[in-house]
Amino acid sequence: MNADLEKLQETNKTELERRGSIFNIGAPATEAVTTRDQIAVGFGDGTVRFFQSGSDPKTVKAHKGVVLSMTNYEDHVLTGGDDGRFLKISSDGNIEEIFNFGSKWVDCVASHKDTKVCSSGKTVYIWTKNKDKPQTLEHQSTVAGLAFDNKGKRLAVSRYGGVTVWKLNNNKWTASNYTWKGSHGTVTFSPDTKYIVTAMQENQIHGWRINDKADLAMRGYPSKIKSFTWVGDTPYLVTSGSSDAVCWPFDGKEGPMGRKPIVVANGGKELATFVKALNGEKAVFTGFTDGSVLLAEIDESKKPIMIRSSTGAEVSTIAISSDNSQILIGDMKGSILLSSLWADN
Amino acid sequence: MENTSQVPVTVLTGFLGAGKTTLLNRILTEQHGRKYAVIVNEFGEQGIDNDLVVDADEEVFEMNNGCICCTVRGDLIRILSGLMKRADKLDAIIVETTGLADPAPVAQTFFVDQDVADRTKLDAIVTVADAVHLSSQLVDHHEAEEQIAFADVILLNKVELVEDNDIVKVNDRIRKINPFAKIIKTTRCDAPLDEIVGLNAFSLDRVLDIEPDFLESDHDHEHDDDVTSLSFVSDSPLDMDKFQDWFGNLLRTKGQDILRSKGILNFKGEEERYVFQGVHMLMDASPMGPWPKGKNRSSRVVFIGRDLDNMNLKEGFENCKSA
Repeated sequence: MNADLEKLQETNKTELERRGSIFNIGAPATEAVTTRDQIAVGFGDGTVRFFQSGSDPKTVKAHKGVVLSMTNYEDHVLTGGDDGRFLKISSDGNIEEIFNFGSKWVDCVASHKDTKVCSSGKTVYIWTKNKDKPQTLEHQSTVAGLAFDNKGKRLAVSRYGGVTVWKLNNNKWTASNYTWKGSHGTVTFSPDTKYIVTAMQENQIHGWRINDKADLAMRGYPSKIKSFTWVGDTPYLVTSGSSDAVCWPFDGKEGPMGRKPIVVANGGKELATFVKALNGEKAVFTGFTDGSVLLAEIDESKKPIMIRSSTGAEVSTIAISSDNSQILIGDMKGSILLSSLWADN
Repeated sequence: MENTSQVPVTVLTGFLGAGKTTLLNRILTEQHGRKYAVIVNEFGEQGIDNDLVVDADEEVFEMNNGCICCTVRGDLIRILSGLMKRADKLDAIIVETTGLADPAPVAQTFFVDQDVADRTKLDAIVTVADAVHLSSQLVDHHEAEEQIAFADVILLNKVELVEDNDIVKVNDRIRKINPFAKIIKTTRCDAPLDEIVGLNAFSLDRVLDIEPDFLESDHDHEHDDDVTSLSFVSDSPLDMDKFQDWFGNLLRTKGQDILRSKGILNFKGEEERYVFQGVHMLMDASPMGPWPKGKNRSSRVVFIGRDLDNMNLKEGFENCKSA
């Protein structure tokens, strides 16, 4: 397995690079999200660019500094910036400022249907339809991750010392705390909403079973986990942070408790920095520190396919268009590859 | 490891009113054409003259690694990683701490967090001390002692308001706590900026600059809570295994009380000098080239901390001598 990447790198350009378009933006790609027919990417120069196959990206000058966080919202995207602005942006360049926090950063954003959420410092702000004033949820330390469950009834907020899960009942949010020592970052609900998982400041991820708060400590990584994605029907939680994509099984009553993860997409000396599920398939795209991207099935006996060759800059984001036809790969130097996933497209 | 793409970070400490903002504004206005990011505390003094000022919360987090004194600034990790995503390259970052802040978590952040260590490097800890009030602050607040103890550079500011013999006294008091910091006496922080920023003080090769003159093992007995320093010199070579055993165990068991440690070591059978520097339980060490020709191959170690008298440091160090 170790030689997979080296061998694949010998064939200079990948098929996807040959048929795709490469754009050099010159600023790190920080976030990418899929809207109905486009892929929006936030950059370190404050721009949001909307990519669509067959045309040049449309550039929206959104923030003064870095686009720190982004999510989709109906046909728009919501962005948070280090200029303290929480914005709603459409692909035709229309910007609506939802709120301005001044010198405070807008670290995290989230949405569910017509609810818009952001965090700045220790506070989460929630705007619901037809209400001008946001509801606020306070936390003991700075919020580092936000995630709605699939029904929008629960909002997980990660912070130092664990996660606060807020539940919406009769228009009121009530808190339930999930505690684990250390600093917790990005947070996600499992698709069946039975688990929450966070990426920690240390080289590990941590999960809780929601109903009984049972802990799942997933350790053994050589670096911080910056990205995870749910893959397939099992489902697997696939994570970055190692020289492979590490896939934890979340089926059965106990999930990954006492089980070993499957490892696929070996990057040799490179570490995985971003992972993204291929919708509807038991397969994952894994981006590495050198800019290369592998597509691998969650099956240790199968060989991965090289999607993008090395760019010299770590992969910072991958997004797939809503119709599953296009892939966008962005790196920390601002190189963007947009290509069709399928040869006959 | 030297990495040219790492952005240098200067940490600015000092009590409220000592002159931190004065110094900060000097750095920002006199270094024309350089792009700085300044990370300030929300309770800090106002009026900073810079485009890029970031509010921080000084959130001190314990690392989940079983090391009780290993605290880091969680907000700093988040802010530095955000700043590293900017399209424009920063020349330097300045972190201003509140007057009562302990500098250890800030320094430790650069040792512990890999992302921070990859993209930034701690340049120096600069402490602005008020020549008028420092003596009483050292009695009343252990944070004042820590800020002196951790400093690479100390600006003894407002000297124009103090009699000459009192300056000597406060200078001696600083030296007793921290024998290797550079002390610059200033009026309105008027020190040359190239002695404050761009120092690379945390680079291991700067350990070699320890001036033997400052190193005195003799010291008056201090109150147990006082921060003091101890140093030892040995002209006979050390045994590497013995040293590693002793020093590793020392940091593990007494690291909470040892604020900073530095040293240059002559190991038996090794051609190169070894240098190390530590902050509490964390340390960085590596070989640093051959000994200069014609100079004594003497090992030197310095400890700054509390309760050093009860650590058997002298005996421990002596026992490391190669048989």
